[in-house]
Amino acid sequence: MAHLEIDHVSLAYPNAREKTSFLALDAIDLGVERGEFVTIVGPSGCGKSSLLMLIAALQQPTGGSVRLNGKPVAKPGPDRALVFQDFALLPWRTVLQNVELGLELRHMAPDERRAIARKYIAMVGLRDFERHFPHQLSGGMRQRVGIARALSVGPEVLLMDEPFGALDAQIRQVMAVELLKIWERDRKTIVFITHDIDEAVFLADRVIVMSASPGRVLEIIPVDLPRPRPLTLRNHPGFVAYRERIWNLLEDEVRSSLNWQASDDAAPMVPAL
Amino acid sequence: MTLSRRLVVGAASVVAFLILWQFVGQREIVRSDLISYPTEVLGTFIHLTATGELGSNAAVTLQEFVEGFVPSIVFGIIFGVVLALVKPLRELLDPLLTAIYTAPTIAFIPIFVVWFGVGTFSKVVIVFISAIFPIMINTRVGVSEIAEPWLRAVRSFGAGQLQVVTKAILPGSMPAIMAGIRLGLGRAIVGLIAAEMYVSITGIGRMIQVYSSAARASEIIVLVVVIAVFGYVCVALLRSVENRMGTWRSDLE
Repeated sequence: MAHLEIDHVSLAYPNAREKTSFLALDAIDLGVERGEFVTIVGPSGCGKSSLLMLIAALQQPTGGSVRLNGKPVAKPGPDRALVFQDFALLPWRTVLQNVELGLELRHMAPDERRAIARKYIAMVGLRDFERHFPHQLSGGMRQRVGIARALSVGPEVLLMDEPFGALDAQIRQVMAVELLKIWERDRKTIVFITHDIDEAVFLADRVIVMSASPGRVLEIIPVDLPRPRPLTLRNHPGFVAYRERIWNLLEDEVRSSLNWQASDDAAPMVPAL
Repeated sequence: MTLSRRLVVGAASVVAFLILWQFVGQREIVRSDLISYPTEVLGTFIHLTATGELGSNAAVTLQEFVEGFVPSIVFGIIFGVVLALVKPLRELLDPLLTAIYTAPTIAFIPIFVVWFGVGTFSKVVIVFISAIFPIMINTRVGVSEIAEPWLRAVRSFGAGQLQVVTKAILPGSMPAIMAGIRLGLGRAIVGLIAAEMYVSITGIGRMIQVYSSAARASEIIVLVVVIAVFGYVCVALLRSVENRMGTWRSDLE
C-alpha cells in the first residue's frame, strides 16, 4: 500500500446553464510512496493544482477517493501541509507569528509553538528575520517562510503548488537545491506541482506528466539520477534526455490547448443571425 | 520634516494665534465680551474647575459617551462581520441601513427624547446610533475585501469557521475597522453635545446652552476647548492601540 493513494479521482464542474459539466480531472490513479518526491508537470489548465486541493481536502472529488495511510482524507488536517505559489502569508504577522500559525490554530501553548517555529525558521535560514514582516522580505525569503510554516505542523505529506512559480529564474534554482537539502534530512513525502520541466526532473524521484482538459496522467517517468543533486546536474546528458522526453510528451498537449483556446476565442467572431 | 521640527512649527502657529487673540481682545479692538482673550479664558477655566461645575458636568458627558461608544464598537464590528458574511441578510438590510446612515443623527434627537426621556439614557442611545453605523459599514467593507490567500492559508491548516474569523478576517480588516471607529468617534461627539444642548439637565452641552443664552463668550470657549481636547485624546488613544496591534497597513501588501 502506498503512503498516499489517489484512486480513480475525477473532478467535474457542473455548468447549470448548459446542463453539461466541465471535466477537470479524469480518473487519476497515482500512488506515492512514503518519503518519495513526486513532481507533477503539465500544461496550464490540466487540473494539477485542483489535484493538490483534493489531496489537501480543501475541495472534494466528484469521483474516486484520496487515501493517506489507507484512510480517506475528509478534511484538511495536520498530516498534510500546503505551500502556495502566492506564499499566502498573513501581512500583519511577523515571520515568527506566520510560522506559528498552524500550531496556534491547534491551540498549542505559546512557548511550545514558538520553540518549534524557531527551529524551522532556522532550518530555512531566516533566523535573523524572525521579527520582520512579510513586506520587508524578498520573494525567495517569503517562500522560505511558507515552507517553514508548512513544516512546523509536522506533516507527513508536503503539498507544494508551484511554490517557486513567482520567483525569478536564478532564485528558483537555488530554492530547488535548498528544498532538496531540507527533504534529504527527514524525507517527507512531497507532491510538487510545476509547469517547469527542468524543475520537475531536477527534484523528482518520479515525474507525473499530465495532459490538458480533461487532466489525465499521460505517463509516469521514474528519474534515475544520483542524489544529492547539484545545480550542474542540468547539463548532465541523462538530465537532458529526461527533459526532451517530457517535452515531447507535452508538446502536443500544449499545441492542442493553444488550438482549443484559439477556436474558443474565435467563437464570438461568428456573426449572429 | 523631522518630528521635533514639525512640533516646533506647529507650536509656533498656535502661540502666534494666542498672542494675536490676546492683543485684539484685551485692547478691545473687538468687543472682549464677544471674543474674550486667552488669559480671561484661562481664568474662567480655573474658576469653573474650582467650583466643581466643569468636573461634575464633564463626568456626566464622559459617562454617556463611554456607555454609548463602547457597545457601538463591539456591536458595530459583530454586525459588520455578519453582514459581510451572510449575503441574504446584507441584501435585505442594505437599503434600510444606508438610509439610516445617511440621515443626520441629530435629526433623531427629538424622537429619542420622546422615547427615552431627558435623562442620560437618550444621550447614550444617540452616541450608540451615531457611532455604530460608520463602524458597521466600514467593517463590512473591510471584511468583504479580505484577500483570498489569507483565508486559504488559515483553512489549509484545518481552521474552523470561528478561527477563520479570528485569525484571518478580523485582523485582515483591522485597518478598515479602525477607520470606521475614528469616523464613529467624531459623529458620536457631535451627536452627544447636540443632544445635551437640545434638552438636558446636566453635561457639557447643557453648560454651552446655558452660557450661550447668557452670552458668556469665555465660558463657551472653555467648553469648546474641553471638547476639542477630549476628541484629540481619543484619536491619540486609537492611534496608540493601532500601533500596538502591529505595523500592519493595507497599503503595505
